[in-house]
Amino acid sequence: MTQSSLRSNYFVVWSEVTKNLKFLSAYPIVFVFWAIFPIFWFIPFILQGQALVGGLTSQAFAQVAGTPEFIPFVVIGSVLNSYVLSSLYGMGESIRREAYQGTLDYVLASPCNKSFILIGKALSESFTSTIFAFSQLIISILFFGIELTIGVIMPILFILVLLILGLYGIALVLAALSLRFKQAHDLAHSLEYVFYLFSPVRYPVESLPLWAQAIGKLLPLTYALIAVRSLMLLKQGIAAIYIEIGALVIIDTALVLVGFYLFNWMENKTKKSGTISQY
Amino acid sequence: MVNADEDKSAYSIQTVDLTKVFAKKKHRGVLGFLRRNVEKEKSKSEGGEAVTIALDRVNLKVQSGELFGLLGPNGAGKTTLVKCLATILIPDGGTAVVNGYDVLKETTMVRASIGLVVGGERTLYWKLTARDNLMYFASLYKMPRKEAKNRVNELLEMMDLLDRADERLEDYSTGMRQKIAIARALLHNPPILLLDEPTLGLDPTFSRQIRNQIRGLCRDEGKTILLATHYMYEADEMCDRIAIINNGQIAVVDSSNRLKAMVKERELVEVACVNPPVGIEAELKAMCKDVDIVTLIQGDEAKSTPSRIKIIGEGAEEHIGTVIDALRRKKVQITSLNVGMPTLEDVFIKLTGGAKLTEGGEAETERHEAQ
Repeated sequence: MTQSSLRSNYFVVWSEVTKNLKFLSAYPIVFVFWAIFPIFWFIPFILQGQALVGGLTSQAFAQVAGTPEFIPFVVIGSVLNSYVLSSLYGMGESIRREAYQGTLDYVLASPCNKSFILIGKALSESFTSTIFAFSQLIISILFFGIELTIGVIMPILFILVLLILGLYGIALVLAALSLRFKQAHDLAHSLEYVFYLFSPVRYPVESLPLWAQAIGKLLPLTYALIAVRSLMLLKQGIAAIYIEIGALVIIDTALVLVGFYLFNWMENKTKKSGTISQY
Repeated sequence: MVNADEDKSAYSIQTVDLTKVFAKKKHRGVLGFLRRNVEKEKSKSEGGEAVTIALDRVNLKVQSGELFGLLGPNGAGKTTLVKCLATILIPDGGTAVVNGYDVLKETTMVRASIGLVVGGERTLYWKLTARDNLMYFASLYKMPRKEAKNRVNELLEMMDLLDRADERLEDYSTGMRQKIAIARALLHNPPILLLDEPTLGLDPTFSRQIRNQIRGLCRDEGKTILLATHYMYEADEMCDRIAIINNGQIAVVDSSNRLKAMVKERELVEVACVNPPVGIEAELKAMCKDVDIVTLIQGDEAKSTPSRIKIIGEGAEEHIGTVIDALRRKKVQITSLNVGMPTLEDVFIKLTGGAKLTEGGEAETERHEAQ
């Protein structure tokens, strides 16, 4: 890739991100939602946990989770799950919105590589979910005594990037389905519960039966949660999570490749059927 | 296939037997999906599926620097043809070459060669400003940021919208948004413009401004322009050559004058009237069997546009009395009667076998005539 094409591709990604953020700024009520919603998101789980175990720690919980602290466990699950939610709903909805606005034809008929437009869309979604996740984290640090040492920040960010890449693959699949079926909201909703059920968002993966654990091992969130909890709660180093990192890399590669293949296939299919700009 | 011996770049746009077929969608929803699949199986076993032929072996050659009109009623296949040339739709048969590039094999080069206006004002981001819209699309055309900024300013000035560049498009009028849509098509300074109904729904002032700009782009900048329209006068006034398209087929391609010459020896009687009853056209056809064409063009009561009955052919004048008597018997109010020479509209009617023009087209014709 030449320097000028690298620069022009960067300009595509940047333009897509700024376009989406300008859309958001056209609806300021969204920011109010972002400020309030994170609090309500995980407090019920914390209260539920407290009611069940009778306090902030539990030895029974420690036997399966490796840590007696229920609150940090749930907070980490909730923060990382924010990225799942924005990926599941964000890109598919963005494609649907382009079709509804009548701009999809123009976006797809431009000579730039569509991957960079999609990367821009994914980055905008990640930006919003990062704000969401940070709100949750700040609340947790201030009110629930969650500790975040400087040493673990970089490894956590690395795991987050790997998680986002895998979720980007899933988002591409949903965007492809949006092109063909004009809405993927219900599928996204179902997938949201697949993540809830089979990934250790609120409970350790060991709580699941073996067949369910096997399904959980196909989801990038499972490995990201195990890795981040190992770093933050079990105070382990990055060497202890190499299996999770390896698994994330393999799953990410597979999901991104499948996502791009499916998106291109659906784009061609809808261009052939003449339904590409329908919504 | 385009002949290998023929220089591909001899024409800016060339199609050979271009065909596009759409499957008919009769049913919608879950039950519709199930029924459709049953019917699909049934039609397969009967040797075919219910389809609409949107483009039927279309052959066109548009020369470089030409303002080429594609004239046809709604549903004739104009937009489908434009979308196939713009790589938004994949044709089912034949070939199309744009600026020397195959629309199937060299899509990126085709896309870089064309500026597209299809779908009008709705194809922009209304929540963004005019400048933001243009900057965004400039990035998709791989323009360097600095060059894009300059080009956007240049185009906004050209469209006379520089002073409103930082207002959201939701605050613009329809005509202003259409100007931005045209500016977007010009961002990367493409040699070819594909314009699908660029003046649709615009008031006469904006329509005239946009027509002047299109003419200027062809005359002063040497751009090749394919102008799809259902407005007769627009094609007549602006285009070097016109292709009349109906039911996905090109009926004829020639200059406006030569097209008119095809029917100029004939007489034309036009009776304008209000709310003619259903069946009057068939009745008049039966009464005037010796003329070539008897057709009714429906008006639009809401826009005070009367309906028009046209009788074209040798001896048309002799039927004036018959037609007026027939209308009076039906208590139809006659607003005017004209006898003259046929226009491009009459050529269109002759070639399409009396295909109905849309209300929008008629209203616009009337408005134009009043200017």
